[in-house]
Amino acid sequence: MFASVTSSALVGVDPRPVRVEAHVSGTAGGRDRFNIVGLPDASIREARQRVQSAILATGHHFPDRRITVNLAPADLPKVGSAYDLPIALGVLAAIGGLPPYATKVVALGELALDGAVRAVRGGLAAGIVAARRGMPCIVGVDGGAEAALSGADVRGVTSLAHAMAVCRGEDRGLPVPEAAPPIETCLDLSAVRGQATARRALEVAAAGGHHLLLVGPPGAGKTMLARAMPGVLPDLSPTEALEVAQAHSAAGRPPAVGRRPPFRSPHHSATPAAILGGGSGVPVPGELTLADRGVLFLDELAEFPSHLLDTLRQPIEEGRVHIARKGVSVAFPCRVQLVAATNPCPCGYLGDGRTPCRCSRPAVDRYRTRLSGPLLDRFDLRVTVPRVEAAELLGAGGEPSAAIRSRVLAARRVQQDRGVLNRSLSRDQLDGLPWDVDAGRMLALAMDRQALTGRGWDRVRKTARTIADLEGAEQAGGNHVAEALALRSVL
Amino acid sequence: MSRDDRVGVAFLGLHPDRARTEVERHGSASSVLRLAARARLDGVAPHRVVPPADRVKAMERAGCRPVLLGDPDYPGALAELGDPPDILFVRGSLPLSPGVAVVGTRRCTGYGRRLATAFGRSIAGAGWPLISGLARGIDGAAHRGTLEASGIGVAVLGSGSDVLYPPDHRELHDGLLESGGAVITEYPPGTRPDGWRFPPRNRIISGLSAAVVVVEAAVTGGALVTAMRAGEQGRALFAVPGDVDREASVGCNMLIRDGAIPVLGAEDLIEALSLVLGPPRRMSPAAMAASISGVDALVLAATGTPVTADRVAEIVGLPVSEVLGAIARLELAGHVVTGDGVVAAADQR
Repeated sequence: MFASVTSSALVGVDPRPVRVEAHVSGTAGGRDRFNIVGLPDASIREARQRVQSAILATGHHFPDRRITVNLAPADLPKVGSAYDLPIALGVLAAIGGLPPYATKVVALGELALDGAVRAVRGGLAAGIVAARRGMPCIVGVDGGAEAALSGADVRGVTSLAHAMAVCRGEDRGLPVPEAAPPIETCLDLSAVRGQATARRALEVAAAGGHHLLLVGPPGAGKTMLARAMPGVLPDLSPTEALEVAQAHSAAGRPPAVGRRPPFRSPHHSATPAAILGGGSGVPVPGELTLADRGVLFLDELAEFPSHLLDTLRQPIEEGRVHIARKGVSVAFPCRVQLVAATNPCPCGYLGDGRTPCRCSRPAVDRYRTRLSGPLLDRFDLRVTVPRVEAAELLGAGGEPSAAIRSRVLAARRVQQDRGVLNRSLSRDQLDGLPWDVDAGRMLALAMDRQALTGRGWDRVRKTARTIADLEGAEQAGGNHVAEALALRSVL
Repeated sequence: MSRDDRVGVAFLGLHPDRARTEVERHGSASSVLRLAARARLDGVAPHRVVPPADRVKAMERAGCRPVLLGDPDYPGALAELGDPPDILFVRGSLPLSPGVAVVGTRRCTGYGRRLATAFGRSIAGAGWPLISGLARGIDGAAHRGTLEASGIGVAVLGSGSDVLYPPDHRELHDGLLESGGAVITEYPPGTRPDGWRFPPRNRIISGLSAAVVVVEAAVTGGALVTAMRAGEQGRALFAVPGDVDREASVGCNMLIRDGAIPVLGAEDLIEALSLVLGPPRRMSPAAMAASISGVDALVLAATGTPVTADRVAEIVGLPVSEVLGAIARLELAGHVVTGDGVVAAADQR
């Protein structure tokens, strides 16, 4: 007497199907009459009590026989109380409480002792598994909205008995509530006054996916500019939006459903685990992964511990962060665009026209040394954000984000045809692109004047290529290189 | 007096004054060489006479060629001196016209270094060759300024053509040669930079120049020697004033007291120099804007005082993308400097 029900587990942020198999045999003897195997954690082992009570609450007799539940694949660690519902359905099917055809469902939910079904996190993963298999997805009604993002046929249920009725096809299940639209955190650039250079840098950064560093005194509007970044990036495709939602769901946050790229701004006091991902047991994605396909904003870059900045380097370059824990090693996606802001010196007013800087030169040098090094090198664009003059504040706002976004989109389309975002162009690819004589001369000159290191050489070429793409130019020329040089001149 | 013998005398590596007096006393270079070979010259061991074939090899190795007094490409200004070097070992090409010497102490301050670089740029911008000694401090800064403005520079060494001192000026040395300048010395290849070789060297620096600018100088030191020789040679002498209680400026202030022309800035210097050397051949900083075309000229005109790029864009009424490109081009050409978020015309520093 055997039956199985499908459920889901996460590997990194990827949903994987889990087969919940139940076998009922012989007569019970001794204490081991109800066993769960397949790398369950403590909370899953406790499911035995909840499942037994919930089955009794439906009016079914709990069999006095030997019951074995296996969670397959058996080598994948599983956590949480979400398997209560599929275990109960599997056991019921194995003892004949449900007809065999009724187990072709994906189920996820925690059971109360009275048989009520509680929503759990990870609903989106169950929805995705269900959508892939073309099965209905049975979840607690409160968790239905998340599961519905996947496009699966989601049936909200309130109790185990309700779930059984849905499985048998006697009930359609409750309609799931619409997911709440995400709160719009993104700021429109039409609200930003002045800041011509920074706006241009934002446009170029968005067009080529370049990492951007904003340097300026307090109150200059660095944070505001950074918050405007998602607004000039192209919309996410439905697939991308689903990936973003998955990452949020895996982190136990209400997944965003918008088409705007995510914007994450971790505080500099955040732990490495909070930023990179981790935690005990099964790793949970961190801020880096929550910002996947969007913007990771590091405000007050110099305040972040340098070892943390060092560990950020490789994941950002690679687009994946690898987390190894006992028995599991996962790779979370983190294709982020980095935007960082910093003061030019400890007091913040170096180079400011109005407030004099009170820092000694050694103090400024120390401050910059903390920033310098390999991470600073990753920023293709480094621009100064001066404080805005009163006259500019009274003046008209700038161009709205949508207008910039349409130019960014056009530039991205050119890059799509080339097959790679300009940020990720390799040296060979750069060499293979058309450069006019002027561009070469300008680069050589900059190299001569020590304005450029070997690594900077490629960075400038990438930015120059993006500027040419924005202009719709086939060949990158001296003007493009010159502007690219000017856009990375700070620090 | 054969050419070969004169080169041979130079290869003895004597003090220039000693070499000249020996030649005068014995009548010709060949007799000096003959005497030296027979150990009849005081303090000159016979083995110091280098056979002609070895001399050619040594010069080939050092990459230099001999230019003798009386040769058509021997600098005219140098030939007029009372004690012209009989021979110059030359790498690169000698300038056809007199230049401007910018000299100073090796132990300079940031003030001196900054000004020397600015002068180097402006002098190069005016189209005049810049003459200096490739030493640490002021000399190096002046040469660097010349290279930044793609000008012609001449370094006069106190060692052989193949002995670079200080060694970390390799890049400057090569830069001078690549940009059409010259590295010259009256000492044969292989000569070590001994202290006593530098004062005679300084007469060549001032001799090649129509004017000498002393940027920073202590009371003792080579810069004042150069200034003294410049006075003897009738060259115009300029000195940069400095704090009276700063060691690196005492020499300059003394020169001003004794009649040197005080320099008030790069532009002032160019103006004063054009009285000596004639109007600038390339462009004065003021005329520079005219020769730079389009956007760049507009942008340069807007950087009179340090301003942000945003402000420049506003002033010239052009998109910031174009302004940024212009700033980068102007900075690479040495016309503006950027830093701490602002851009300023180069002579503002």
